[in-house]
Parts: sequence; structure tokens; C-alpha cells
Amino acid sequence: MGMGLEEEVLKCVHCGFCLEACPTYVVTRSEVHSPRGRITAVKLAIPSEGIETCMYCRRCELACPSGVIYSEIITRVRKPNVIQKAMLSLLERPQLLPYFIRGEYAKKIPAKAEKPLEYRDKNEELILFPGCITSVFFRNTVEKALAYLKNLGYRVRVYNGCCGLAHKNSGELNRSKELIEKLKKEFEGKKVVSLSSNCSAHMKENGLNVFDFPEFLIKFDLPLPKVERKVTVHEPCHANLLGLNKYTREVLDRMNVTISESEEPSFECGAGGDYFIFHEEIAEKVMTVKKEKTLKSGVNTVVSTNPSCSLAFLKMGLKPLHIADLL
Amino acid sequence: MNQSLLMLKKLKEIVGDKWVITGEERRLYGFDGLTAVKKEPEAVVLPGNEEEAIKVLRFLISEKKKIIIRGSGTSLSGATVPVEGDEIIVSLTRLNHVYSQKGLEIEVGPGIANAIVTKNSPPHLFYAPDPASYQVSSIGGNISHDSGGIHVVKYGPTFNSIISVRVLLPNGEVEEFYPSPYFNLTSIFIGAEGTLGAVLRARLRLFPKPQKKKTVIGVFNSIRDSANAIISIFQNGVIPSGLELMDRNAIRAIEKSRYRAGLPDVEAILLIELDGEETQVLEEESRVKRAITENEGEVIIPNEDSRFWNARRGAFPAMGTIAPAYVTLDCNVLRSDLPDVLERISQIAKKHNVYIANVFHAGDGNLHPLISYNPEDFDSFVRAVRASDEIEKFVIERGGVPSGEHGIGIEKIKYLGIYYNEKEIEVLRRVKASFDPYNLFNPCKMFGGCKGESREERVLWEWD
Repeated sequence: MGMGLEEEVLKCVHCGFCLEACPTYVVTRSEVHSPRGRITAVKLAIPSEGIETCMYCRRCELACPSGVIYSEIITRVRKPNVIQKAMLSLLERPQLLPYFIRGEYAKKIPAKAEKPLEYRDKNEELILFPGCITSVFFRNTVEKALAYLKNLGYRVRVYNGCCGLAHKNSGELNRSKELIEKLKKEFEGKKVVSLSSNCSAHMKENGLNVFDFPEFLIKFDLPLPKVERKVTVHEPCHANLLGLNKYTREVLDRMNVTISESEEPSFECGAGGDYFIFHEEIAEKVMTVKKEKTLKSGVNTVVSTNPSCSLAFLKMGLKPLHIADLL
Repeated sequence: MNQSLLMLKKLKEIVGDKWVITGEERRLYGFDGLTAVKKEPEAVVLPGNEEEAIKVLRFLISEKKKIIIRGSGTSLSGATVPVEGDEIIVSLTRLNHVYSQKGLEIEVGPGIANAIVTKNSPPHLFYAPDPASYQVSSIGGNISHDSGGIHVVKYGPTFNSIISVRVLLPNGEVEEFYPSPYFNLTSIFIGAEGTLGAVLRARLRLFPKPQKKKTVIGVFNSIRDSANAIISIFQNGVIPSGLELMDRNAIRAIEKSRYRAGLPDVEAILLIELDGEETQVLEEESRVKRAITENEGEVIIPNEDSRFWNARRGAFPAMGTIAPAYVTLDCNVLRSDLPDVLERISQIAKKHNVYIANVFHAGDGNLHPLISYNPEDFDSFVRAVRASDEIEKFVIERGGVPSGEHGIGIEKIKYLGIYYNEKEIEVLRRVKASFDPYNLFNPCKMFGGCKGESREERVLWEWD
């Protein structure tokens, strides 16, 4: 075990407080698929299926009273397989994604892949970062966000790329860092607004100065329309870790949108990035639980500011909406 | 095919291939909340429902296999640790259903987490027993340990919240024990640590949520003063719904952890929760304040109660910030003995050169000295256990009880041996034998009788 990894592993006192926070434990109720089991597998240096089945939502880190940074453990012991590797390199080039999402894969994804929106004003001052999945599957949201920002007079460039969260999740740590470095250069001297909350969280954690879209609306006190609507709010996992979801709620409040609470809004949606493509059985079970919890709100419109979560809600037959869709 | 492979094949036929864990992965079930002893079971089975559980258990009984029933694996006494290596762990975590809820009762499977019971109850009711692990620990495990928690002082431990249980006995029969005015058969399964059979269902008692709750904090510069304040709270006729003590060492561990709450760095903090009807709570509040100030304490009324209580609930795992492991005791003493016992614990800590944090259910005299050690340093483990040995001896000599809520497991076997005399132990053994003549259910626990292979086991099971 390398330094750092060992330190994190030793912090775990095996108390089990993480169990019910973990979506894969909740649906399997097996130690193998729990954060504690995974850490123990690393500690005992034994192969375990659980290393692959982690959805990387990091809810266990919020539950852990000993402050184990679980993500530092799991990302160092997992490696992508060939198909996952191919998928990662595609995510870096969203323009190519629509050509490859076909056949079996297209069937598993409940939205149609479109070519990302390309747009650039002269002397742009603001970068709109859709995030790779949003750019391809939620082009409409990107268009609405762009129109809204243009309308306020911003000179905007839409930057289609990948933040490297998926790479980190798969254990491609070096590539993940390279992508962050690349973005750092692209973003220099500009305001950056991201339409994918978990990407926003990942970029922030890695030192990039970006705003999550709802956060931008609040911090710059931008004008918001009043919308007569009743919705429930989903709290994307990584954004939740950084406390970003409060901005989504504040925007909705300012727009007079009625929020009907679901049970545990931060419970994992079941998508887990591209997890639902590779681990269908567990992902579907998590989605079933999430759907039940969501429907306790009594509404089926879910405000979700992260694209893979929105795909999960589409799979559940619910109606995901981004804040930008409401503008 | 050899015997073992045949058995696994049969188990897989009952529960499906992926719910039988063999190979290296079975080692993930080698220990629970007690990490000092790490062993491995022969296999782990996770039945998906009550019917499968019954089939699995009957089959294992017919094969005369040793059986360990496991829930969420949070036992602090090592009640689910396989000792001999040929035990089959039957995890009942998937039996987590709510079967019915009526009036003040709720019927659940043993695998449901404690906190989920209240979530599934009507909004005006709650399930009272609340061990620190309540977010995850299972009802089956709570029953088998007679788990307590913060609310014990007013609502009693798990024992007081169990109406009836359905159990599978070691002869393979499933029995439902109803409340009885004569021999109360349900009671014997509460705290039995899985040695008498498997709890398959339980009917639990719910309490009405109190109209009002109030938290009062007492801050003390002397541990003796805080202990005296506890005594005077009760002498003033108040039974709080929670009365917890955290000493300086506990406060420091919490403040280093993610449960940090900006607690003052003092000798002792008392967290007192009062609940009930509004005028009653108001009256109790003034009496509690008086008890604190009369014993040289300072009263704090927090704006945000949950911050303090979360800190308290995180105290155990927060010990991870001091050292990677700890031994914890849960002996009960008379409240009037608290001042002397706490002083003695601090002397024992000095003598054995160990870090002991006290964070405990002071209202019911349920001590929790947390004794840190480093698993990489065997000597530190020995010192921690020798310190616990001395604390337990001192407490038991003064009429205390060796375990209030964590159970005996493999951790406190030798303390049971000084709490009961030989005749009493013999009676307990006969009870066990009449239920489980082949000693299949959770062997080695509670009464011991197994040979310790590892040096850690020998330190735990033998006196110095």
C-alpha cells in the first residue's frame, strides 16, 4: 500500500456507520458491497467484487465519523476495463459521442444523443461549461442557459469537454489530473459556469474557480422569472458533499416554485455516472429505491442539475428538469 | 464432491449463488465493531427472506454446523466474530421488512436498521432504544445485545420495547412467543447474543413522541462535581430522557473529528435532555439548572441542540482520530458510585499508560471508558486490556454489572466469570444446553470454552 492510502485505510475503525448511507449496501445488504467491506478488502489485500460495484457517490464520507476519505482509497485500487477506457476517452470528446452511442448502449440510455452546441462570442468573458453528458444528452438545456446568459449581455463561449470526474471514479488518476490542468488553462481569466453540478463539485475540489449554475444565479443576483410550478429537488451526490444544493433550493424559492420534499433528497439516483451501463442489476435496484423515495414528494417533476441523475430519472419514468430549463 | 462443497451447493440452491460468500471475500465477515480479533468464517449466507432463512438454518442444523447469526456487524463485544473458523455466518440483513404497524406496535424483520423503524412509524410515534449506532445497527442485533442508548434512562433498554419475538430454535422449530403473565419466554431471547436461536421477527413497542424536548448543558471543571450533579438531578425528582457525560479526553477526540461542535475544553460536560409535557419540562429545567450550579457547574442552553447530540453520537468512532482502535467497556455502576469510579478509572489509565476517554450514559450509570490502542503495537493492546480488567474488577466488586448494553461476546467472557459464581454459571449453561444441546448457535460466546489461538484472544480471555 502506498503512503496516504494506508493512512486512510487505518483511519477506519470498522464502526459500520457508513452502511445505510451506501446505495449499493442498501440494495444488496451485503458487506461485500459496502464502504466498510471495500475498505476491509483493501486492508486485507483480498480481491473483492465490491471494488467494482462502488457507485462513487461518496455519501459514506458524509456518514463517516472518523473522517475516512473513502474516495482516496477506492480510486487508487480500481482500474477501468477496455470498454470503460474507450468510454472515458469518448467523454473527453463529446462531439464524437453521438456517433458511438448506438445499438446496445443507446438502448440503455433513455435520451437521444445529439451533437453538442458550439458557440463562441468574440472576446468572451464567460465560459459556459455544459459537462460532457449534458452537452450531448441535454442540448436543449445548454441552449436555454446560453440564451439566458446572452440575454443578460454576457459574451459567452460554450466549452464542450470533460472535467475528469469519470476518470477519477474509474481510477485513471493521472488522466483525471491532466484534464483538470487542461481546463485550468482554458478557464484562465474567465468566469466559468457549469451546468453539471457533480462536475462543478469535482472541479472546485481540484482547485478550479467555477460556479455551479444555480450558485452563479444567486451569487450574481441575476433576475429570475416567477414560475408557477410544484417540483421536488434531487441533490446530486458530489454537489451535496460540497453543499452546493442549497443554491438550487434558493433559486427555486426566489422563483416562487413550490418544493415538495422527497425522502432523503441526497440519496444516490442510481446512475453513478456511467455505472448504470456496466452494472445494470444493482443500478436498477438503486433506481427503484430512489423512485420510491422521490415519489413520497407526491410530484413527478424532479429538479436535477446533474445530467447522469437526470438520465436516471428519465429511466424511472419521472420528469427531470434543470434550473436552466425553468428560465 | 467433499462435504463442504456439498453443503455450499445446497445453500446456493436455497438462496441463489451470489448470496453465498466463500473464498477470500468471506473474510470481510471476519470481525464486527470489535476489531481486536480478526478471524474468518467457513462461509457467509445471506437469505433473502424469512422462508429462505428458515430453510438455511434448518439445513445447517441438520448438518450440525456451527451458526453465527449476524446483523449489521456493529457489535462492540465481538458477538458475531467467528472464533474457530468452521462457523457459517448467516446474515439476516436482507430480512429488513416492516410487516405491520398497528396502534403502538410495529412488526419488523431482524435486519431492519433501528433508525428505519421510526421512519416507518406514524409521525407521532417513535422507537425509543437508540444505541449510538442506531442509524445502522439492526433490530435483531439490538434484541440480541439488549442494546441501550441515550434514552435508556427514561424509556429502558431494548428489553422494555419488545412485545414478542418469532424465533427459530436450535431444534429447527419456529416459535412465536406471545406476552405472558407467567414465564415470559420472549425475555430470554433479549440479550441472548444469538446463543439460543435466531430472531426472525419482532413486535416492537412504540412510544408517543413527547410534546416538548429541551436540552440543558452543564460544564464542569472537576469530574467529581459533574458526577455529584448527576446524583442531585435525580434527588431533585427529575428523570431526564437523556443524561450523558463526556470527559476531557472524549471532548478532545470529538473536537478532532468531523463531529466537532466547538465544545469547551473542560473536565466534564453533561448533556441533559428533558422531554414531556411543556409545564413539566419547564419545571424540570429549573431543577436541573439548580443541580448543576449547586455543584459548581455552569449552565449552557444551546441554540442548536443537535450539534451537541451529534457530537455525542459520534464520540465512539471519533476515537479513530486518537488511535486506530479502542477497547470499550459498558459496565454499570450505581449512580452514587460514579464519583469514585471515575476517579479510579483515571488512576488506572495513568498506571497502564493508556488514553481513556469517558463518554457515557451517566443517567443510568452505564460507563463507557474507551481505551485506545494501536493494533500494530501488541503491547499497547495488552495495556488496554489490562486496564479494562482492573476497571471491571473494581466495578464488579462494588456491586456493578459487567455489561449494560454491548453484550459479553468474546470480549467480556472472563468478567462474566467473576460476576457470577460457579453455581450460577452452571445454571446458565444448563439453560443454554436445554435450548441448544449440540452447542451450534454462536459457540464460544458468552461462556467461552474455546481455546484462543491468537495472542489477542488469550489476552482477552485470560487474567494477567
